[in-house]
Amino acid sequence: MNTPLVSAKGLTVRYGRKRAVDDVSFTIPKGRVVGLLGHNGAGKTSLMKALVGLAPCDGELSVLGLSPRRERVQMLESLCYIPDVAILPRWARVDQLITLMQGLHPRFSAARAEALLQRTSVSLSHKVKALSKGMVVQLHLALIAAIDAQVMVLDEPTLGLDVLSRKSFYEMLIDEWCDGERSVLISTHQVEEIESLLSDVLMLNEGKLVLSISLEEMDRRFVALSHDPTEADAMAAAHPLLRYRTQGGTAALFDGPPPADVQARGTRVRPSLVDLFVALTRAPEINRTQF
Amino acid sequence: MPHWDDKLPIYQQLADHLAARLLDGQPADGEPMPSVRALASQHLLNPLTVNRALQALVDEGLLEAHRGVGMYVKTGARERLKASERQRFLQDEWPRLRERLRRLEIGAEQLSWEDQ
Repeated sequence: MNTPLVSAKGLTVRYGRKRAVDDVSFTIPKGRVVGLLGHNGAGKTSLMKALVGLAPCDGELSVLGLSPRRERVQMLESLCYIPDVAILPRWARVDQLITLMQGLHPRFSAARAEALLQRTSVSLSHKVKALSKGMVVQLHLALIAAIDAQVMVLDEPTLGLDVLSRKSFYEMLIDEWCDGERSVLISTHQVEEIESLLSDVLMLNEGKLVLSISLEEMDRRFVALSHDPTEADAMAAAHPLLRYRTQGGTAALFDGPPPADVQARGTRVRPSLVDLFVALTRAPEINRTQF
Repeated sequence: MPHWDDKLPIYQQLADHLAARLLDGQPADGEPMPSVRALASQHLLNPLTVNRALQALVDEGLLEAHRGVGMYVKTGARERLKASERQRFLQDEWPRLRERLRRLEIGAEQLSWEDQ
């Protein structure tokens, strides 16, 4: 019943001698919104390509119980994907794209696509070239979300969009895709604004998975202490992962609760994903020994 | 983009926000709460986070789950909420406010109860 939609064990993607994704293991159960975070070149796109069967990989990888390489056609019936280099033909009209999708994908619903587009300012008679960048991305999401799939993979879908377009995009994703059964894997650099949308996070650093955790567990495991500047030395002595500035002053971030006497010197605050991301990806040589 | 502060977990902040609305009678006792999806979309939150917030309000005795139809505001929720908020104000906020009024030497007769 509860087999994960995606399961990877020792997943490795090589380009020549370079390991773009290096021995990565994780699962994505159903009903999750998983953020894939990492700096440029960390391996996010390679990992996603392996999941959709576009990159050869080593290790065990199962998507919807299928092998993305050997059973790709069958897998694609229940998986949809917007790659980072996605484009829609500029000369095409929206209704033509819907007709095209109907011919391309057995589980695409034209009625559903049209219903999704009603949320947006895109109309069926528009040509792609007449649409703004934000509208094109919304159209793309509508076309993809109209596929009756189980897993959606989005590689930096909101790159280059203004804040209102990003908000509309996330609204459509939450409203129209997240039903508690289907899952989505989404990569982005906008860590701060996507945090509240996520149920889980995967963090890549130089091809290695440095963190795979649910946001709920993250709140419990990582302890952020906001403290008076005079306590800075005591905080530093307890070896925090990161020390950073907050609205109210200074804070220290710990993996696991620090000793009680250190905890008493500060006030516990919510560790933000972006602070954790900075802590776990800025010094790879340290992280390798810690995780 | 909605902004959550870094003091409390996001689900707790949503629960506090929803409780503040309940105090204003929105929705009123016995009425249904907005659906998880509606709340998720309105606040751009993961539905699991919304569920946690609603569950926190169930644990506080403010909401009850009606099987298959969703969350309802429990009878007497608003009164209980008002009672506990009053208690909290008198215990936590009023001493601080009183201290500040003393420091500023503001007496009761200088405080207006009329809306300006």
